[in-house]
Amino acid sequence: MSNGALDRTTFEAIEAYVLDRMSAAERAGFEQRLASDPALRAELDLEREHILAVELGGLQRTLQAIGEVELRNGGGPAWGGLLKYAAGIALLIGAALWWMLRPPANERLFAEHFAVDPGLPVAMSVTDDPVFADAMVSFKEGHYAEARSRWTSLLKERPGSDTLQYYVAAALMAEGDLPGAIPLLEPLAASPASPFLHKARWYLFLAYLRTGETDKAAALPVEEDPLRGDQARAIKQQLKAR
Amino acid sequence: MPTPAHSRPLADDRLIGLLRNDPASIRALYTAHFGTVRRFVLANSGTGDDARDVFQEAITVLWLRARDGTLSTGTDPGALLFSIARNKWLDTVRSAAHRHMNVVHDQRMHAAAVEPDDGVEDRLARLRSIYERLDDKCRTVLDRFYFQRKDLSTIAHELGVEEESIRTIKYRCMMKLRAHRNAIGGEDHEQA
Repeated sequence: MSNGALDRTTFEAIEAYVLDRMSAAERAGFEQRLASDPALRAELDLEREHILAVELGGLQRTLQAIGEVELRNGGGPAWGGLLKYAAGIALLIGAALWWMLRPPANERLFAEHFAVDPGLPVAMSVTDDPVFADAMVSFKEGHYAEARSRWTSLLKERPGSDTLQYYVAAALMAEGDLPGAIPLLEPLAASPASPFLHKARWYLFLAYLRTGETDKAAALPVEEDPLRGDQARAIKQQLKAR
Repeated sequence: MPTPAHSRPLADDRLIGLLRNDPASIRALYTAHFGTVRRFVLANSGTGDDARDVFQEAITVLWLRARDGTLSTGTDPGALLFSIARNKWLDTVRSAAHRHMNVVHDQRMHAAAVEPDDGVEDRLARLRSIYERLDDKCRTVLDRFYFQRKDLSTIAHELGVEEESIRTIKYRCMMKLRAHRNAIGGEDHEQA
């Protein structure tokens, strides 16, 4: 990157590239220039960073404005709004009732009962598997993507490891990728010999619940879990009561 | 769309809208998921303001991860927002509770803490420090152009000036940021 001035034409060309406002031909030509011009690549990185910074400022302003409205409304609609939209209330109530009884109810149950797996104890000075242990430390620190990445690499080397399979799934759950965790948990939840049987069933149960697969959740024998059986029974009763 | 860095397509419309800075999508994410986070924070010694702060930070992290293309394809934004906000609040609670304790730092734990995946918060801090260098006039113009994606003629009409003036202000503001970066780079070079 040059310490001298950047001419407006080059600046606007970079801007158009970052904002995806170039034609296909212009883009191809610009990418050719980029490939042979390291200074231009440095300018591109810098401008992209500055635009991102401006957008972040806008996002924060937007969030603050929404937060203030939420605060004023106490989480609900304003009275003026209620009067204004009175004609549509009957229709909205019907939709809201359906909405509250379906996915949001599952979402609430998930939020009430889901807690990230606490992980395994790691003796930092005494371990025969330092990569696994390092990943476990990352997991416990809340760096789930990093832990998942390391465990996934190990799982490719040891595809039969139910420990790795379980913790990759636990990291995905913690990241919010429930559809990704489900196929890893399903075989563990169907393996009575696995030491992860009950934990896998429990998290699979919650994942099914959150993703709207309520029938599959209801069919899992989570009540047999010696630790979470009562909790699971209570959730199933709530599901039946709907 | 700016910063086309995301390599994996996102399935959720609200995430796609968030990537485009679409206010309706941001509001939809907020209203759909803030309540869950608020209940959690209130149930764990926090206030409504605490809940708002951790939730807004969680949306910001989600936005940056979406921009960087580091989200899994099937990411459920609600579950991820809850997870991020929950961890942030638990970190706050723990740090407050253990402020006066001596913490023994293990070398491996320190190494893990500086892995690239830890970069989101540092990156946000760096981006915020860039934004703070802009004066109000620059923010007004740049925000409308880059964040709200308005064209120059619309901005010119809104602010009652010529389109060419907006174009010039935009260029000058961005060059101020660039000059500041060059100055920092120069200082670093001299110190080295």
